[in-house]
Amino acid sequence: MRNDYLWDGSGEPDLEVQRLESLLREFRSDRPAPLRAVSGRPRWAAIAAAVALLATGTWLISGGAPEGWQVARAGARPSRLAVGETLETGADGHATLNVGGVGVIAVEANSRLSLERARKTEQRMRLEHGLIHAFIWAPPRTFVVDTPSAIATDLGCYYTLEVDKDGGGLVSVLAGWVSFKRGGHESFIPAGAACLTRPGHGPGTPYREQASPAFRQALQDFDFAHGGDAALAIVLAEATKEDAFTLWHLLTRCDRAQAPRVYDALAALVPPPAGVTREGVVRGDRPMLDQWWDRLGLGNTGWWRHLEGSWPGSTR
Amino acid sequence: MSASPVVSISDDAELARAARHGSRAAFGRLYDRYARMVHGILLARVPPGEVDDLVQDVFLSALRQLAALRDDGAFGGWLAMIARNRAFDYHRRAREFTELPEDLPAAGRHSPDALAALEAIRALPETYRETLLMRLVEGMTGDEIAARTGLTPASVRVNLHRGMKQLRQKLDCEAGS
Repeated sequence: MRNDYLWDGSGEPDLEVQRLESLLREFRSDRPAPLRAVSGRPRWAAIAAAVALLATGTWLISGGAPEGWQVARAGARPSRLAVGETLETGADGHATLNVGGVGVIAVEANSRLSLERARKTEQRMRLEHGLIHAFIWAPPRTFVVDTPSAIATDLGCYYTLEVDKDGGGLVSVLAGWVSFKRGGHESFIPAGAACLTRPGHGPGTPYREQASPAFRQALQDFDFAHGGDAALAIVLAEATKEDAFTLWHLLTRCDRAQAPRVYDALAALVPPPAGVTREGVVRGDRPMLDQWWDRLGLGNTGWWRHLEGSWPGSTR
Repeated sequence: MSASPVVSISDDAELARAARHGSRAAFGRLYDRYARMVHGILLARVPPGEVDDLVQDVFLSALRQLAALRDDGAFGGWLAMIARNRAFDYHRRAREFTELPEDLPAAGRHSPDALAALEAIRALPETYRETLLMRLVEGMTGDEIAARTGLTPASVRVNLHRGMKQLRQKLDCEAGS
């Protein structure tokens, strides 16, 4: 199949085909490609930066969304969800929300949500219960979902958010990042990772979806069931290098007596950079934590601060 | 609410199987591999300004319907069918309702020559226009088109060459008129 320009671009160029390729290139998709899972770490900063730039470009072209979101439901005339209104899907109902210049949200059956804000700089909804798939290309932090136990802020991505009737939730990120926040806890969840939230606790510690069941269960026990030292021991023993971002989050979530063990486990997976000391990390030294984060290959702290506007704070 | 399993795999059928069993990472890789095909199929049928949003619709539909996929090896053809149905649905709704979409196709964003070339391709028979758009716009090779759509390489070759022949004739006619 070689030497056939029309087939695969090889061999003598066909000038007419070449002219058409050049002419038609402008119709190629300008949407960000989905990001790789955590294992593709070296590409993260570059890809995430591209997402942010593309999203910004798209936003400027679109000129922003008008008040309210367009709603499409099977067998029904397209309608509009205005600010303050509630949308409820039945047992066999689905809906697709077209958020204008922001993205598309698929709402699964048995979901209840309301639109809280529809401004160019902030699109905000509340998911009381149910399941949504959100594909968002707005600038980071434009699209926000309130849930009973945490606030999910989109950082340019594709994710699924599920909220049960007790107010607990699970966010699973397919592409990009999501911030899950409540009170003093903020979790940054990359593609291929997930994070639970519980009423009264707020968001737990983010984890890789590929992490071992024992790791995930122990982390859940540590976050929400007073698992303490026993649960932490399992998390640290089961962690692999790809779970380093989970351990990094734990550094600011465990108590001061537990922090040295987390430090040692993380250091065994990703050695801290020069100047980052055990003592400094244990006392919650912000610059040291930032330097170590930069070693994880998930993007530079300076860049992420610019993107996210905040950073997980110490809870000790 | 349990986390979904993720498997490290490269074969499309295996990815489809993993995605069907709840692996969102596998679905993400399928998106990566098939987004251009879906984009090409939609571009053959709907206004350019609508295509990007509809691509997302198609993948969201696929994500919801994945459990109904009976043959993991047929993922590409199944997804292509969802894309064609979505384009058909777009036109059906446009006929049923006078209400227009919020963001009308931004023809002004594209050069007249590019729009004319696109229109010439869209006037070709369906099989030719889809294959040509995947090659000329999406930059897919013949082998990639065959692998993604499920067509045989021989069929893709025929579509490309016959489609290109008709397109040349059409463009020559338009240039001469």
